[in-house]
Amino acid sequence: MELELRFFATVREAIGASTARREFRTGATVREVLAELESAYPALEGTLLDGEEIAPSITVLRNGTHVVHFDGVETELTDGDRLSITPPVTGGDG
Amino acid sequence: MTETLPPVYGGEILHVHLDSGDTEIEPIDPDDARRFLGGNGFAAKQVAEHVPADADPLGPDNVLAMAVGPMNATPFQSTSRGVLGFVSPMTNGFFDSTFGGTLPRAQKTTGFEVVVLHGRADELSYVRVHEDGAEVETAQELAGLETYETCQAVREREGDGYDTHVLAIGPAGENEVRYACSLHESEIREGVAGRGGNGAVLGSKNVKAIAVTEGSFEPEPVGDLRERSIQQMGRLMADTEMLQEYGTAGLVNPINEMGKLGQRNMQVEQTDPENAEAVSGERLEAEYVTEDTTCANCAVKCGKHVSVEAEGITQAKIPEFESLFGTATLQEVYDIERVIKANDLCDRLGMDTISWGVTVAFARECYEKGLLDDDDSPHLEFGDADGLVELATLTANREGFGDELAEGSFRMAAELEDAERYLYGAKGLEFAAHSARGLKGMSIGYATGTRGGSHHDTRPTLQYDGNHDETTEGTPEFAARSQHFTALGDSLTQCRFVSEGGWGTMVEENYAEAINLATGWDLDVEAVERIGERVYNLERLINAARGVADREADTLPHRVMNEPIPDGPAEGMYCPPEELDSMLEEYYAFRGWNDNGHPTTDTVERLELEDVAEAV
Ligand code: SF4
Repeated sequence: MELELRFFATVREAIGASTARREFRTGATVREVLAELESAYPALEGTLLDGEEIAPSITVLRNGTHVVHFDGVETELTDGDRLSITPPVTGGDG
Repeated sequence: MTETLPPVYGGEILHVHLDSGDTEIEPIDPDDARRFLGGNGFAAKQVAEHVPADADPLGPDNVLAMAVGPMNATPFQSTSRGVLGFVSPMTNGFFDSTFGGTLPRAQKTTGFEVVVLHGRADELSYVRVHEDGAEVETAQELAGLETYETCQAVREREGDGYDTHVLAIGPAGENEVRYACSLHESEIREGVAGRGGNGAVLGSKNVKAIAVTEGSFEPEPVGDLRERSIQQMGRLMADTEMLQEYGTAGLVNPINEMGKLGQRNMQVEQTDPENAEAVSGERLEAEYVTEDTTCANCAVKCGKHVSVEAEGITQAKIPEFESLFGTATLQEVYDIERVIKANDLCDRLGMDTISWGVTVAFARECYEKGLLDDDDSPHLEFGDADGLVELATLTANREGFGDELAEGSFRMAAELEDAERYLYGAKGLEFAAHSARGLKGMSIGYATGTRGGSHHDTRPTLQYDGNHDETTEGTPEFAARSQHFTALGDSLTQCRFVSEGGWGTMVEENYAEAINLATGWDLDVEAVERIGERVYNLERLINAARGVADREADTLPHRVMNEPIPDGPAEGMYCPPEELDSMLEEYYAFRGWNDNGHPTTDTVERLELEDVAEAV
């Protein structure tokens, strides 16, 4: 299956691109995708996963919704899903 | 009961009577330090004690209390902020607005934890504050100057360069634009006390600036606060990476991605990724940022300067995320250079970019729906970037249609038939960027916020991480406890980014440890959270006495309660009236407030607020 990947801020810097389309095993989980990305982009190594879990320094959205609202790191993705990876979103100044 | 004041406190409150120039020094009661901590808490107590419940926010009976926290000027990270407390000409309720830079640290060294401005000067003046007291200096020559120009003119007049730490208003404050702000230009970073109309309050008092000179007081933490701060450093630097590199502007893309970034006066909450990219932190960083800037004692350095050749702008303050919401996405203006121009004008003229932006977007929707027309203003089409820039100057000068914008969206709506449905705010204050429909914690948080539309009462940060964003379960308690957290943080005057990034997003053990090290007290985490709760209840008592805080006032605008987000990832989200009602019921019960949203006698007693409840 093909996923649309979108990267922001420091994650984008590490990858050197803002978007990518990539093939993954059908039914791949968020964990598998993050692990594959870590091996594909050496600058990301150790930044997306913290052991088996999503690293606290990133936020992962599936089609705009935080993956905690699905099955978190176990969320199974489907063809055409958009996965956005961003540093954690804080709450703005003012 | 605490007997003596810990040596981390300067120990005094300075009262300045602007009409006579007289000053009085009041010692801080150690029991007040224990109850209210400093900053926000001290400022609220001054407002409770000195402002009559029927005082006009723009009249001489209002006060402006500038306060710092107990750990300011200590090694505790980024307690570099100051608080302005006053009754707001937007909400007619208590308001506190914080700012960074170097002035608050300088104030701390004068030994005056709070400087309270009373009355009104006969002529345009600035107030000089130093360790021996204060003088009110007539300064007619400052009339009409922009904020940065005023800071510079006062520094020149004082003759000590950046050793004079100046906070100033611009023309908008002098013209009493209701949401006028004040700006502090320090050598290392600007600080803007953005919200609630503190600039208009200063303007109404004929105070163009406050100038602080460092003194010799050195706060002495009882324990090793330096070591404790160093322990948090790793977590702080890891969790604030985005801020370090992109400032708050880095939030534009991810929040748009979630479908929770208002566009077109909140008619929709997501734009095409290309539009978001055009006004994003990533783009600003790549094309416009020239240097990082920072407040005193901060390793995060989230401030940035930007230059735009085509606009003749060099080293202006970067638009913050909230400002990009108000002046870009909400307007459907994605021309970043014009947006930077509009923001720079707001900073120079001294206007809150959130309230101004939301008010302009409201007017633009009124125009779109036929309630306003070209005779009112030719600048009211969504997407009109040049018009946006024009409107900034017109508003600050109260010229033509700008005079109406200067009143804020709520007062405009009162004059226009059927316009209320396009408002986006609560209690007279326009909302910040964090969606009142897309984040359930913000729905109840905004509705019960002391300040109305502030994102510094209930915080959105945990909600973006998937907590209390989509569910109402436990959310009223979350919103209330987040309000304790912000009231505590603003009483400590610690920068919110540093506190959330390094120390914890709710009141937790870390804060108790730091406060105990600073003061020598022995507070557990519940007692520390109770300080925030007490301050929040004090604010509520002030507002209840002023008639602006009750069940009827704790509400949300029409769109948030009646129009679900039409599309995108958050499609269908809103807060219908029955949902708000049930959250309010739960919220009041958690707080120990009655059905009308007022603290009960038991609650007042439990929080040791009897004396101030009587004062208001
Ligand atoms: S994080 Fe930013 S706003 Fe906070 S103290 Fe540091 S420079 Fe100032």
